[in-house]
Amino acid sequence: MQSQERPFRSASGEPLALRRRQHSASCRELALRRPRLQLRSLSAVTSAVWLAAYGVFVLSENSMVLSAAIFITLVGLIIYLHFVKIDQESLLVIGSLGIQLTSSYASGKESTTFIEMSRVKDVVINEAIYMQKVIYYLCILLKDPQDPQGVSEVVPLFQSSQPRLDCLMEVYKSCQEILDQRKEAPQSSGIK
Amino acid sequence: VCAQVETSPRRCWQKVLYERQPFPDNYVDQRFLEELRKNVHARQYQYWAVVFESGAVVQQLCSVCVFVVTWWYMDAGVLSPQGLFGAALVSSLLGYVLFDAIDAGVGRRESGRTRWADLKSTLVFIAFTYGFSPVLKTLTESISTDTIYAMSVFMLLGHLIFFDYGANAAIVSSTLSLNMAIFASVCLASRLPRSLHAFVMVTFAMQIFALWPMLQKKLKARTPRCYVAVTVLFALAALAGLASVSSVGAVLFASLLLSISCLCPYCLIRLQQLKDNIHGPWDEAEIKEDLSRFL
Amino acid sequence: MAPRRSAGGSGAEMAAGGRAARGAAAAQSVCMVSDFFYPNMGGVESHIYQLSQCLIERGHKVLVVTHAYGGRRGVRYLSNGLKVYYLPLRVMYNQSTATTLFHSLPLLRCIFLRERVSVVHAHSSFSAMAHDALFHAKTMGLRTVFTDHSLFGFADVSSVLTNKLLTVSLCDTNHIICVSYTSKENTVLRAALDPRIVSVIPNAVDPTDFTPDPSRRDDGTVTIVVVSRLVYRKGIDLLSGIIPELCQKYPELHFLVGGEGPKRIVLEEVRERYQLHDRVRLLGALEHQDVRNVLVQGHIFLNTSLTEAFCMAIVEAASCGLQVVSTKVGGIPEVLPENLIILCEPSVKSLCDGLEKAIAQLRSGTLPSPEAVHNKVKTFYTWRDVAERTEKVYERVAGEKVLPMNERLDRLISHCGPVTGYIFALLAVLNFLFLVFLRWMTPDSIIDVAIDATGPKGAWTKQYFSGKKGRVKEEPPIS
Repeated sequence: MQSQERPFRSASGEPLALRRRQHSASCRELALRRPRLQLRSLSAVTSAVWLAAYGVFVLSENSMVLSAAIFITLVGLIIYLHFVKIDQESLLVIGSLGIQLTSSYASGKESTTFIEMSRVKDVVINEAIYMQKVIYYLCILLKDPQDPQGVSEVVPLFQSSQPRLDCLMEVYKSCQEILDQRKEAPQSSGIK
Repeated sequence: VCAQVETSPRRCWQKVLYERQPFPDNYVDQRFLEELRKNVHARQYQYWAVVFESGAVVQQLCSVCVFVVTWWYMDAGVLSPQGLFGAALVSSLLGYVLFDAIDAGVGRRESGRTRWADLKSTLVFIAFTYGFSPVLKTLTESISTDTIYAMSVFMLLGHLIFFDYGANAAIVSSTLSLNMAIFASVCLASRLPRSLHAFVMVTFAMQIFALWPMLQKKLKARTPRCYVAVTVLFALAALAGLASVSSVGAVLFASLLLSISCLCPYCLIRLQQLKDNIHGPWDEAEIKEDLSRFL
Repeated sequence: MAPRRSAGGSGAEMAAGGRAARGAAAAQSVCMVSDFFYPNMGGVESHIYQLSQCLIERGHKVLVVTHAYGGRRGVRYLSNGLKVYYLPLRVMYNQSTATTLFHSLPLLRCIFLRERVSVVHAHSSFSAMAHDALFHAKTMGLRTVFTDHSLFGFADVSSVLTNKLLTVSLCDTNHIICVSYTSKENTVLRAALDPRIVSVIPNAVDPTDFTPDPSRRDDGTVTIVVVSRLVYRKGIDLLSGIIPELCQKYPELHFLVGGEGPKRIVLEEVRERYQLHDRVRLLGALEHQDVRNVLVQGHIFLNTSLTEAFCMAIVEAASCGLQVVSTKVGGIPEVLPENLIILCEPSVKSLCDGLEKAIAQLRSGTLPSPEAVHNKVKTFYTWRDVAERTEKVYERVAGEKVLPMNERLDRLISHCGPVTGYIFALLAVLNFLFLVFLRWMTPDSIIDVAIDATGPKGAWTKQYFSGKKGRVKEEPPIS
């Protein structure tokens, strides 16, 4: 098993790290790691909220404000770590089985989606208008069960890290290598 | 390209698109803008004609002035309601006869309206106004007098703005104009001492704002000379009335009338020379025929 | 939606020929901006599409920016890799977007940067987005070209205001293109321009789409064809007077009217009143590909427009071999030579006289054959010629300098009058500050350069024309 890590940047300029792991010839894992939550920014936000609350307390002379502020920061932090902040997004491509997408939240929670190889039509890079930007993104095209040529659904990848084009190309090439193997496989078995 | 142009000087530029010509695309020929026309529809005004037309504005200003002065006299108790009603009735009857006499009854025959109908609507109007005058009197009691004055001023100004002076503009609306004047008269009438005063004031407003302009219009169309004389007399009467109330007001009003009837036409004619209206082949063509005959 | 491929020839040959012919001239990266594009149909839309196709063929990189049409938003590709951005901007009136002069800057900046746009080419003075794009492009220091497709009067208040805005928008634009000489005169006057920076490049029609077919005509009758939107500006009221007038005079006369609009009711009333149901056929809205099939059924084409910058309809009709009778308004007298068109004053009487003249010629057989007319007309206007001349404009513009900010402000203040000039100079400064802010938020360096679909390094062009069986990296979105 070989593993390598390369630095990239996201569409908003944030540093990202792409780790490629070659488990076997037809099994590859690609993980994009975003920077961890910085203690500095965490404390900055907390103290800002508390200072604001203290200001309101001085004006209104109601101590409920202070306790509410502490409560809100705690709940907010838990929600942020558990549902919003994604530390790592990874893509596990197994030629014979399928593609597994995993997002790991800062709290350690993981959400996983698995797409069978028989449903995958292709992996492509596409362009989209996102907020006030036009960005490239990687997506999996799913086959339409009724129409083998058609596409029923588009699953976008790395939605929260939004890597730039050079990183996407890297991932795209890795995926295509394995998908190409899959396409060649039935032909060779046919010849045998 | 240049060489070609020089060697064949007879080959001149044509204003056509279907042929490739030996000129660059941004070539500007001497014939550029030769079809430009200026001020095709601009009218040349005659000074006295414009002064004559301004009579309508002067008349209307004077009407408002006469109305306000009359109200002032009533309010001060100098003019009795019976006296005003009698005078108004006599002048209305005179005007009524005159209205038919000017065109020898042609307008009446065309409209098909009988004298009986006129009499009926007059009686109905007078009866209703008389019946409702006590209500008019108490209607605005809860409103401060300053508000009433301010409202009357705005309404009379509105009446002057929206009045149909004969211009073909979107802002003109004779109904709105008349309604505003009547509203102002109701406001002012409610500040008079008794309900009989209010009744007489509203009837007088009706006469001066609704009936008088109709007569004027007919006078203007049929006997322009008479119209000028009537306008001058009316303006003098209004000025005299105003002078008896306030001499400063009279001087100001006189200068306003003079500037509208003499200075404004002069300005219009001077500014007309500066008009720069562009016409050319790009204008949207107008359909001049009447196409409704086909439908 | 399936826009037609540009006319004839194998793609590979055309591209190779185009690139060779261009020689030393640099390939431009052109961004066409207009509110009007497919799936909307009309003259401006097909102009942009055909011009873009021919420019791609000549080796330029072309992309189109328009606003979203319903669910059609995002990035799409049309034939030959013409990339279209459908931006999610709010449509206000008549398919034109609302403008605040600023809100479209972030997206347009992103597109201009990632596509490495060198020339911004805006279309149609009715399009707010085109003016926005010009404004932003000038702020970003890009070269700008504007094509005006319409005529405007000077008389009423609304045209006074629009003309003022056009003055502001065009006073620092590098070059302006008009579709006819009349349109040039009109634009020069409206925007107070130097006529030397205004080029005249006519529209074109695809002659292979409009071929004559005399077998489709019924020669026992005379059929007059009208194809236009049924609106006041197209003179449908005149048509409602012509139909009864001529139908009473010529019993074998038939009318064929293609198009839809608010004035349809007028024609229906006329048909009802004079009992002409079998002789006046109203076909309703026509698809572009059906127009030719309607045209070839007629002998005479009638155009009753009251204003027209360049009338495509009469060229299409003439290309189908019809005798054209038209009102003499706007740029129409420049479009066809005198022997192919009968020009009339915009009145029922004059148009009836013109039609009677055409009918008399038709009966006496003195009209040229449809084939002869087609062969003549097809040499007049071609999209390749339009593209070649537009390319010259781009070359000229590429050699010009873009006004730096201070000169631009001077130009605005000196050219647009004291009040408007200062207001828009202030807006230009605000726009520049907004750009500086955006540059600070997302520096140019972190905006990805897009993979070219067309142009010298075009992924599509290579794959498409050189026959290499490589996979194109991006696939056109299917949904």
